[in-house]
Amino acid sequence: MGVPFDFAEGRPDLINAILNGLDRYNPESTSVLQEYVMSQCESQTYDCYANLALLKLYQFNPPLSRDETISNILVKALTVFPTPDFSLCLSLLPPYTLFPSGTRSATPAAGDAPLAEAVQKLTLLNNLLSGADYATFWATLDSDDLYADLVADVTGFEELMRVRIAVVLSSAIREIQRPVLEGWLNLHGKEFEHFIKDVCEWKIEGDNVQVPLNKDNKAEGTVVRENVKFDQFARIVRRAYEQPA
Amino acid sequence: MSLRQAQPFQNGSAPARAIADDESDAEEDALVQDYREQVQYDQDGLEDLNRTISAQAGSNEGIFQQLGNAALPLDFQATLDTKISSYYNYCDLFHFLLNTAGPLDVEPPNYYWAWDVIDEFIYQFNSFCSYRQRLALKRDNTEEVQVMRDKQDVWACYSVLNVLYSLIQKSQITEQLAAQKRGEDAAAYAGDYGSRPLYKMLGYFSIIGLLRVHCLLGDYSLALKTLDDIELSKKAMFARVMAAHFTTYYYVGFSYMMMRRYADAIRMFQHILIYVSRTKNFQKNPAQYDSITKKNDQMYALIAICVAFQPTRLDDTVHTAIREKFGEQFNRIQRGGPEALPIFEELFRLACPKFITPTPPDYDNPEVNVDPIDHQLAIFMEEVKINMWSPTLKSYLKLYTTMDLKKLANFLEVEPDKLRSRLLVNKQRSRQTRWSEGGLLDGEITNTNDLDYAIQGDLIHVSEAKVGRRLVDWYLRNLARTY
Repeated sequence: MGVPFDFAEGRPDLINAILNGLDRYNPESTSVLQEYVMSQCESQTYDCYANLALLKLYQFNPPLSRDETISNILVKALTVFPTPDFSLCLSLLPPYTLFPSGTRSATPAAGDAPLAEAVQKLTLLNNLLSGADYATFWATLDSDDLYADLVADVTGFEELMRVRIAVVLSSAIREIQRPVLEGWLNLHGKEFEHFIKDVCEWKIEGDNVQVPLNKDNKAEGTVVRENVKFDQFARIVRRAYEQPA
Repeated sequence: MSLRQAQPFQNGSAPARAIADDESDAEEDALVQDYREQVQYDQDGLEDLNRTISAQAGSNEGIFQQLGNAALPLDFQATLDTKISSYYNYCDLFHFLLNTAGPLDVEPPNYYWAWDVIDEFIYQFNSFCSYRQRLALKRDNTEEVQVMRDKQDVWACYSVLNVLYSLIQKSQITEQLAAQKRGEDAAAYAGDYGSRPLYKMLGYFSIIGLLRVHCLLGDYSLALKTLDDIELSKKAMFARVMAAHFTTYYYVGFSYMMMRRYADAIRMFQHILIYVSRTKNFQKNPAQYDSITKKNDQMYALIAICVAFQPTRLDDTVHTAIREKFGEQFNRIQRGGPEALPIFEELFRLACPKFITPTPPDYDNPEVNVDPIDHQLAIFMEEVKINMWSPTLKSYLKLYTTMDLKKLANFLEVEPDKLRSRLLVNKQRSRQTRWSEGGLLDGEITNTNDLDYAIQGDLIHVSEAKVGRRLVDWYLRNLARTY
């Protein structure tokens, strides 16, 4: 059974109360939710539904909005790719953030430019991740100091991303050449071996890495059969009683 | 309500005007309305008669008149003043309904009245926000901009939400629906207000209204969450009002699509499109049916988009209709590749709701006011771009059971590394959350693709999931026909 979108493990009661009540629109909830984002960053937990509620408060009350928190939320959403979370966050941001300032005339009055830049940079990362172009993702991440600033608040960002990449690729791959995987994880030599053996518990055989079989990388042919529920026949059965003849 | 310019000619067809704000449609629409006026004249004459009688009996004619007026659409050429005063009229009415000493003892004028009121209320909010946006972009009408600046509170997002939530709370509709779900008597939970049809209906349709407002603001998950208490079925209360039925499925389907749950989105669109095509001949109110034609086409466009993301066998009637309406576009988006991008964009623009931002635009810096539709479109198009290679890839994989990565890369004229990424993307996108029971946000992750594969070194192992014959549907349909 899947986990409902609005569920997060270990969500504090206070947050739950805010999310399920009208306080989710109360500007005074902002600080509580902001702290909650910070604690997610520090403790490597994640609660998309609560973060979206905070973005909504920002959407309604732009003066309360804090660029730093927005970028932290987006970075957290990166760590759960390829879910739609990142896009859902983007949908709640002010519309100008996604468009390069080149298309607008350069006005100094548009003082929010740093946010737009951060959002666009993170969107680029998200697209690389969604497009499974992991090697370029790492290269891009290293290419600009701004990225380092953006992800700085999220404890263990690189480690989180490596684990996530490993999880995602294990759904499609049984065996992969070592150099390719090294590029995807941005790890080499001893560190690479440690990560593969101890964190993922995969095997390195010669120049290849073996990924154990799981339900997704089996690729078995199946025949989908329809599920017939008794309810579907309720009308027919009722008819049979109504018209005994 | 004296400032309202709308002519009281169409009860129960407020959504008719939903198509009226496209300027290009204006003329055509005027004709339609004119026609409708003539056709409905008799019917309305009768209703007016009834109204006077019952109003006299109840001796609160004024209120009754107000209730009736609230459901009427504004003239689509209404001036800014009219729009603003219409907002204040709504405020007065809702204030009166909610904050009088006790519940108002009036029957709603008719069963679709409550829907019409909420629908019109949100429609006016929506078009006011769009108007505000356009005003800021045009930057030539300083007079109106000044009015907007002075009246920031008019059609403010907080007050609209406030009305909807207050109606829901006052009528205790969520408690009632929850009780209904448990199989208990809802009336026991209704309270003073909720036991009266007027409040109950207003509360109920306010939930649907919230779904719509959240979706317009781009909060898709909250939109779906809002419907937790409403069961989506033909027996639900909203199904009694065609326009409500229709609107609900449109927004639920759209929200699912933006959450990339294409299987669920297709299920929603398909359900309502089949329903509409089957009941076409039984619609009592041809004018109202007319008015949903545009939304209908929008949903065909959306279902085409979803099928392009996730090839699905559609119901025959739906499939034929898509071919008729969007044949060429449908073919091209299913083929994918960069050539399909403009088509996706075109269809999305045609079919998306008119998104709004909750805050007034920046009148001093028109450049920073990006149209919210462009914003949502940009987000959607990123997803399209990521998926655009999947159709070609799948068509090749279908032909083999094992395939060498380099060889396939050669066929597709890409580098092996790129191909590996595309394979991963396609695999990830085939795993989708899919609803099976519970709230709309619940679901299980399922493989929605009939093709599955795994990469072993340079070798791709392909397997196919064959769908067994679907007999139950056929069997039931024929049983129903013969007996």
